[in-house]
Amino acid sequence: MDQSHIRNFCIIAHIDHGKSTLADRILEMTETVSERDMKSQLLDEMDLERERGITIKLNAVQLKYKADDGQEYLFNLIDTPGHVDFTYEVSRSLAACEGAVLVVDSTQGVQAQTLANTYLALDNDLEIIPVINKVDMVNAMPEEAKKEIENIIGLDCSEAPLISARTGLNVKEVLEQIVHKIPCPKGDPDAPLQALVFDSFYDSYRGVIALVRIRQGSLSVGDKIRFMATDAEYEVTEAGIRNPREVPLKTLQCGDVGWFAASIKSIQDVRVGDTVTSAKNPAKEPLEGYRKLNPMVYCGLYPSDAAKYEDLHEALDKLKLNDASLQYEPETSQALGFGFRCGFLGLLHMDVIQERLEREYDLDLICTAPSVIYHVYLTDGTMLEIDNPAKMPDASRIDHIEEPYVKAEIMTSDPYIGAVMELCANKRGIYSGMEVIDTGRNMLVYEIPLSEIIYDFFDRLKSCSKGYASLDYELIGYRKEDLVRMDILLNGEPVDALSVIIHRSEAYQRGSGITIRLKELIPRQQFEIPVQAAIGGKVIARTNIKSLRKNVLAKCYGGDISRKRKLLEKQKEGKKRMKAVGSVVIPQEAFMSVLSLDDNERK
Amino acid sequence: MSGSNPVSLYVHVPFCRSICHYCDFRRQIYRRETAQAWLDALEAELKETPRAESLETIYIGGGTPSALEEEELARLFSLLSPWAEHVKEYTMEINPETMRRPLGKLLRDYGINRISAGLQSVSPRLLKLTNRKAGKNETEAMAKMLREYGIDNLSLDLMYSMPDETIDDLSESIDFAVSLSPAHLSLYSLTIEENSVFGKQGVKAQEEDIEADRYEYIVRRLQELGYQQYEISNFAHPGKESIHNVNVWNYHDFIGIGYGAHGKDGDHRYTHADSLRAYLSDPLYRKVTPLTREERMFESLMMGMRLKCGMDRHLFQERFGKDVTEVYPRTIEKERKLGMIALSDDYLFCSDRGYFLLNSVLEEFLEEADL
Repeated sequence: MDQSHIRNFCIIAHIDHGKSTLADRILEMTETVSERDMKSQLLDEMDLERERGITIKLNAVQLKYKADDGQEYLFNLIDTPGHVDFTYEVSRSLAACEGAVLVVDSTQGVQAQTLANTYLALDNDLEIIPVINKVDMVNAMPEEAKKEIENIIGLDCSEAPLISARTGLNVKEVLEQIVHKIPCPKGDPDAPLQALVFDSFYDSYRGVIALVRIRQGSLSVGDKIRFMATDAEYEVTEAGIRNPREVPLKTLQCGDVGWFAASIKSIQDVRVGDTVTSAKNPAKEPLEGYRKLNPMVYCGLYPSDAAKYEDLHEALDKLKLNDASLQYEPETSQALGFGFRCGFLGLLHMDVIQERLEREYDLDLICTAPSVIYHVYLTDGTMLEIDNPAKMPDASRIDHIEEPYVKAEIMTSDPYIGAVMELCANKRGIYSGMEVIDTGRNMLVYEIPLSEIIYDFFDRLKSCSKGYASLDYELIGYRKEDLVRMDILLNGEPVDALSVIIHRSEAYQRGSGITIRLKELIPRQQFEIPVQAAIGGKVIARTNIKSLRKNVLAKCYGGDISRKRKLLEKQKEGKKRMKAVGSVVIPQEAFMSVLSLDDNERK
Repeated sequence: MSGSNPVSLYVHVPFCRSICHYCDFRRQIYRRETAQAWLDALEAELKETPRAESLETIYIGGGTPSALEEEELARLFSLLSPWAEHVKEYTMEINPETMRRPLGKLLRDYGINRISAGLQSVSPRLLKLTNRKAGKNETEAMAKMLREYGIDNLSLDLMYSMPDETIDDLSESIDFAVSLSPAHLSLYSLTIEENSVFGKQGVKAQEEDIEADRYEYIVRRLQELGYQQYEISNFAHPGKESIHNVNVWNYHDFIGIGYGAHGKDGDHRYTHADSLRAYLSDPLYRKVTPLTREERMFESLMMGMRLKCGMDRHLFQERFGKDVTEVYPRTIEKERKLGMIALSDDYLFCSDRGYFLLNSVLEEFLEEADL
């Protein structure tokens, strides 16, 4: 099909505003997928995505649409994640499109992340079609939603379709607007090949599969291609599109969005954001890649079974393939052995990676509490970047410490402003302004240490606003703060994996919170275990895990021997899931315990 | 291992008149027809079992052996008579409410010289909770009747750490039991077994600290009352320890007869058919579990350490050709340092604290054994 009949677009929406439901409806209405085959939310392919109701990884499908003008159009729909952590993924999918459908829930209005992603789309010169969703709900306020889009984002909403993605109401109008408003691709089909790799994954039979958008030229099975960043060359063995099942094609034409395989076994050769060109007739310049994002949150990942270290390494390599923002390097902990210090874009990203490693690679992991990168200035004038509290130098060598701050924009409704402001104040937030968007809705702006955001900010924001608040944040730089490393000692021995860096003013509260939590999590053992929180050798909080008092089988006669032995063996196995640190056996969840404090442990 | 020397015979009677809520043993409500068929099967099994000259004890357990009728018991006892000739201790389990004079006469006539009876508690509330039928009156009457027939070697079972049990419930039960001057007492903390009524109901036993308090009380109180602890849950007047069970804890071989019975024969253990119906059609079926040397060493320790005196090092050496300190050097060193265990020339034994925590101690041994 010629380029004038191709439309490449994505859908931008806040979580739960109906992005995946709209995508499903579009698949149905273009008869790409029959209703019978319809799994709810087809594009969310990972189990994890469907369970959590979020989109994490990209997905692209091709559909055919017969428009009212009687002509058939090819749509390439590229899915985008909605969460703030995945801005990087969003920018990748935007780079493969000419347009975006912006879905706003008419019961909730514009949210902070919708804003961020829409601005990203505008930066990429995408044509944006605003769509007002959930107009069939009793509490829908479509006119207010339109006004918000016009006032906040500055998009004309006079033609915005009022739809219900759930029932299909007016979805056809969305399809018509895609045909008429989103420009067709304008690449030169005769120029040397330039294909943007916007995602990739590993298939154990066919090697790396790259998802590409053909900007110039074309790509055919049998072509010799070159990855411009790595200079790796391969011969294309297979190519095609997805609808959403794989459909093999001989050639991907200019303007197409599709995939190809080339027996690529070396994961490192394929980088997301790289440009694929022809080896024989290469393009002069690669396409512009993406804004590369740096990790903001770090944690240690350790296999609970030390023998699985190499498996973990391999799994991280494979995940990195379609998640360039994941960073990791080997590290060693006295308590946990060999593992990796991993960098993530945010807490959700961290969660998702941990869960994927456990589910898709069948690994049993111990994760340490997340940390940000601190700038530690030593008395000799040098500066260290510390992403692991255990690596913090001795206090006597430290001149001062700086921590990262973010500008946090929080959108919320009138009734919750007080609670949100109190939360921000408790999180050492500095108020820098409030914008009234329209009646009843506001945008609060705070400067907050990133470490406070990763601590438990999301959960608290959600609960203090009953879900009616959304957050977007960006790094604004480093500031000097009175920070200290707090060590946790079990039975008198410091456990490196439990150290945290905190603000001195919070030390006592956090210290007693963590020690109490550990007391709950660590099972009683043969001896009493003092649990202490200490700063520079000075104990600031302490509690004791009482020793076991009675643990013995009541009965063990002739008929009980096998059964009782099995019971002991089972208990021994249970202990294997724990880590022995010195003489103390610690369950895996304890290493995250520094994060999860109850409300009453913090004011 | 050839030339094994079973010293004990265990006979399992799978019938009860009612089902206790904590019980997950193999048992069913008594029915005359089934009891007949069961006795036929038992007879067939006994006939094919080589008689052991070395036998010291017979133990008829269950179930509730006294759930059987007189003529059935008479047949059972007469089947066992040839085995009973030289035994020192011949025990049968009884539920107090099933005691009656004809039974007393049978016991005397066939030489049963030790009775183990379940009282569990004197609290009507706890008896109801556990679905036990005998309280003070029934137990007192039983003890009296047994003595009339010359059976003085009585053991009573009590249970503690039951839901909502108070310390008064326990002390009253102990005082009452002791007032009947039994030679032997067993005190079991309630264990919630998955396949018991309690397990199905999701009943919870008492918390560890309460259980430990109760246990400390029991150990102290029974000592004051002249009963010496010789095993985790067992107390006796000196010389009145259960020979049968001490043999099991010393990891000697024993023969098991009846569908719920286990046996141990040198390098293997065996069980019978896994349902009463299957046992009736094939009483000779034995499911054999071989035991490696390492497994036997650990089990010998697991059982022996339950005895207050500890595990007999000479027996261990004799059986495995090694001293126990050569087999588990790391754990013995570690647990000695923690004050959990101690060694004498003759025994490896638990300290008072280690005794309370035997499971934890054994887990450490198990880790070193790496079975």
